[in-house]
Amino acid sequence: MLFPRTLRRFKDRLDHRHGEHGPLFVPYRGDEVVSLDCETTSLNVAEAEILSIAAVRIRGTRVLTSERLDIRLKPPASLDADSIKIHKLRAADLADGIDIDEALRLVLEFVGNRPILGYYVSFDVRMLDKYLRPRYGFGLPNKTIELSHVYHDIIKWKSIGGTVDLRFDTIASRLDVPIIERHTALGDAITVALMYVRLKYGEAPSAGH
Amino acid sequence: MSSTFDTSHLPFSLLDEAEQALLQRSLDIAYYQQGEVIVTAGAQSEGVYIILKGRVSESEERSNDGTALAEQVFVHYQADDYFGGWSAIRGRAIHNFVAEEETICHILPTRVLLELMSGNSLFADYFAQNLAVKSEIVAQQDQDQDMAEFMLAKVGSGLMQTPLVVDEGTSIREATVLMRTHKADSVLVRKGSRYGMITKTDLLEALVIGELEQSADLVQIASFRLVTVSPDDYLFNALVLMTQQHIERVVVMQQQELVGIVALTDILSYFSSHSHVIGLRIERAQSEVELQDAAQRLNSLIKSLVSHGVKVRFAMDLLAAMNGRIMAKLFDLMIPSNMQPHVCLVVMGSEGRGEQILKTDQDNAVIYRDGLSWPAMQVTLQRFSDRLVEFGFPPCPGNIMVSNPQWVNSLGDWTQNLSDWAGTCDGEALMNLAIAVDAKPVAGNPALFKAGRNWFLRHLRNNDLFFSHFTRAALEFDTPLTFFGNLQDKAQLDIKKGGIFPVVHGIRAMALEYRVLATNTFSRIEALVELGQLQAEQGAELGEALALFVQLRLRQQMRRLEASADGQDPTPNLIELALLNKMERDLLRDGLHIVKSFKKHLALRYRLEV
Repeated sequence: MLFPRTLRRFKDRLDHRHGEHGPLFVPYRGDEVVSLDCETTSLNVAEAEILSIAAVRIRGTRVLTSERLDIRLKPPASLDADSIKIHKLRAADLADGIDIDEALRLVLEFVGNRPILGYYVSFDVRMLDKYLRPRYGFGLPNKTIELSHVYHDIIKWKSIGGTVDLRFDTIASRLDVPIIERHTALGDAITVALMYVRLKYGEAPSAGH
Repeated sequence: MSSTFDTSHLPFSLLDEAEQALLQRSLDIAYYQQGEVIVTAGAQSEGVYIILKGRVSESEERSNDGTALAEQVFVHYQADDYFGGWSAIRGRAIHNFVAEEETICHILPTRVLLELMSGNSLFADYFAQNLAVKSEIVAQQDQDQDMAEFMLAKVGSGLMQTPLVVDEGTSIREATVLMRTHKADSVLVRKGSRYGMITKTDLLEALVIGELEQSADLVQIASFRLVTVSPDDYLFNALVLMTQQHIERVVVMQQQELVGIVALTDILSYFSSHSHVIGLRIERAQSEVELQDAAQRLNSLIKSLVSHGVKVRFAMDLLAAMNGRIMAKLFDLMIPSNMQPHVCLVVMGSEGRGEQILKTDQDNAVIYRDGLSWPAMQVTLQRFSDRLVEFGFPPCPGNIMVSNPQWVNSLGDWTQNLSDWAGTCDGEALMNLAIAVDAKPVAGNPALFKAGRNWFLRHLRNNDLFFSHFTRAALEFDTPLTFFGNLQDKAQLDIKKGGIFPVVHGIRAMALEYRVLATNTFSRIEALVELGQLQAEQGAELGEALALFVQLRLRQQMRRLEASADGQDPTPNLIELALLNKMERDLLRDGLHIVKSFKKHLALRYRLEV
């Protein structure tokens, strides 16, 4: 937390680009983006634990849900009634979950060096980094794309001044994108992916309130 | 595994759990901008597209030089609809699919589709087959309930017949006479405390093959090993017994006491809700009042038939037969017997085709022998029409009925009318003709009708101009396919103009050309297929489409009739799309698609400009 992420990424890259995970540090040249979402026990990175991770690749206007990553982890000790209400994952639902080491390996393999897309993406990246750093010695080096920024830039460009409502549900409805299973990692990852595709390839949404 | 795709509706609900999981794993999601071509006709299709959001149109292939033919949009698809299945199976798309709005689709790749189809035959049928099979699958899905009702009925619930019982020593001859007078097709012979069964077949074989004398004792040929059931047994068990033992009757015994016989035909007709009971009442009616009573039971009969899931086509056949018998009986009761050989009552229009379900207007006419002198004829026929109204057959708004002297003709006038109508090509004449060529004799002397019909069919031979004019009416109304975009909220369509009439009239014209004598559209289709004038597949599809239209119309009609205060439905042909479920909308769309291509077929065949 002492250095801004950009600086740490720079240092990680120097340290690791010739190491075992070198390919992760090569700048991405392809046309794919990975939409990633984590469900956690809390929104405070320091105390939160990951319950599930989902990611889908986006290639052009396609959301490749057939090549999805959909991981559930072993139930953490901190799973309590409050968080259960939000993501509806009980300990029993996570009973067949995998442990975090395996999960991280799968995430790194799935994401590779592709840019990571998310809604409030820095939270997800920080969550993953929290587990990644003690084990691998680096955080996710990937470029990140924040959906609400993409949206904001387009809306702001259309209407000078005024505030832009950046709530998830508002963006989805303004973009006329169906919300798929809100508050499951996979559903959110797919919805965000669709919103991104829509923003990138569709007509700019009207700025109306 | 979390699911992102809703598999609760057809055809995906036909898949089992493992197959649904495979489906979930295999789907991609694609985004299309407005106007983007999703699948191009002739190109390879990626798979089945299931719409998550947006609207897609299916349109005809453009001509080779790229200029759009008057682009004809067949169908619109919207959320939850799927398309491209057919193209995926065939390998190449037949039509263009274009996003009319921004559209998001799930894509099920062809490879997985084929895998699912090879593992699940019901799913495969749903995808690969034509409308007929689809309707069948839908019908199966909501039939369980009716089946349960059927299986729970008991033997004793009114299906038993009283057996004809004779004593030992009765001769074959006597028994035969008795069976004839009692209208029985089996007889039980008592020997001591036992009973033996003899059927008509047994009698016949005894005389012909066994070479027994007519005076021989019945006991010799009776079968004493009776298959029995109790009145408390389920009807279904009786049916199973009959099937196992290859017999058509079982004897009902209650504690060693004979109580009745149940016949296979009775069990089978149980589904048709005691239809033969009404039939018997009609047959036995001795007065107009008794006949009226029987006639008024018909509506509830049809209701129960349809709610029991009996195929509309069979319900129509049955009702046509019943209506015919009622009219014939009434005619017998009202027309003096010395006049009956000289007149013929014909029913026309839908009644003549046997395609009514709810009693609709009476369309009838009388043909009488040239030179017949019967001054009271018109008075009697007026009374006949009035009586039918009392029976529940509403008068014809076009006044095409025997109370109108215009439709009471001598054979000579009748043929003259037909040829006049065929010669003039104005609307009313062609309409009259269309009604008249569906005529079917129901009472009196049918030879009069046949003479007129045969003359007319000869008269029309090779008259291409006539057929061209006559057929044109089938193309008069647009097929209401493009209205589908609005179907969720307010859309309604006139199914008679959009679907029923083009099929009925087109088939009528072709039947006339090939001198098919049947009047029922389904029978006409079968005959035309037989003659090689329609392809078997096309014929089957047309029949299914027509049955579907009639069924959908009937259901909404019944609903309106129940809701209306005066028992009238002012809009009998209206289909409110909002009341159909997604499956029915799918079927309706497929059906209209079939009508559309049939119209094209007619236009080509009779060189009509569309």
